Amino acid sequence: MNPVTAQRRHYEDLAVGEVIDLGTTRVSKEMIISFAREFDPFPFHLDEAAAKASLLGGLASSGWQTAALTLRMLGDSFLNKIASMGGLGFSDLKWKKPVMVGDSIGGTATIAALRRSHHHPERGIVTIDLDIRNQRGEPVMTMQLANLVELRDPSAPEVGQ
Amino acid sequence: MTRWYEDIEIGEPFPLGSHSFTEAEIVRFGQLYDPQYFHVDPEAARYSQFGGLVASGWHTVSIGHRRMVDALFAEEDRLRALGKEPGVSGPSPGVNKMSFKVPVRPGDTVTYTLTVTGKRASNSIPGWGLLFNNIEAVNQRGETVYHAELVGFSKLRDYKMPLKLRLLLALTRLPVMGKVLASRTGLT
Repeated sequence: MNPVTAQRRHYEDLAVGEVIDLGTTRVSKEMIISFAREFDPFPFHLDEAAAKASLLGGLASSGWQTAALTLRMLGDSFLNKIASMGGLGFSDLKWKKPVMVGDSIGGTATIAALRRSHHHPERGIVTIDLDIRNQRGEPVMTMQLANLVELRDPSAPEVGQ
Repeated sequence: MTRWYEDIEIGEPFPLGSHSFTEAEIVRFGQLYDPQYFHVDPEAARYSQFGGLVASGWHTVSIGHRRMVDALFAEEDRLRALGKEPGVSGPSPGVNKMSFKVPVRPGDTVTYTLTVTGKRASNSIPGWGLLFNNIEAVNQRGETVYHAELVGFSKLRDYKMPLKLRLLLALTRLPVMGKVLASRTGLT
């Protein structure tokens, strides 16, 4: 038994259709510029004039920052409350609308699928649909994430699959 | 690439350089964005399936993005030095697929390579094209750390605006009526 995750929810405790509220995060100009300096130093993420002239139409966060802030919200509201074993990746990530200075992003994570690993009986795979919106309710990012989660009882037979 | 859309060759590998990950930066990124115990606590991480501290996949990907932006700027400088006008890269509409393969541990060096696998003119934004890019991140042992399929905007050099659109743009520059037109058509 892993002592770090023993008291957390395991694979058996999760259900398809469960909706997790991610809360909200306000994105400031300082946050945008600081992330861009480190990971995405395109002029349209660093400089207001360059951003106005770009396809984004104003200073907007790096899409990777929107993703990282979403991941933080998902960690606080879900991944750190389950026996997570790490991420497998994601698919269909769409940046639908730029996140501008002063926007608040938030949304929901929905458990879209649950299945057990074929090779590792102690592992399950949870698929999560993320729907991230701004304070006007407009979609800014969607994606589907796959994460590993421990089984409490790997010897139990698979049911309902 | 910061080459013009028209000059981009399908299938040509474009090296993006390498990055060595320290424990301190792995923990820092984890604390900010992905505070799961195996990304932030080297002691607790020993109980995880990884057996020790590993970088968040999103950290490895964000560094890969930084390597790409730096490579684009370097290509721009190279073209200018040759007396050529570089192309224009735009933002990305999304990522079709991202697979995290083997974890990155403190001291690992990851080397990133981008390959354009396809391109087409954008349907939604006139004057721009879409590039379909693969990024392969490999560690010092030659193991794949992640594989990504991304999409990026790139400006067309040889784009000729259709007459209808040019007329509409000219009209939006007129006082009063232009503003109304611009707000109705989304043209600025």
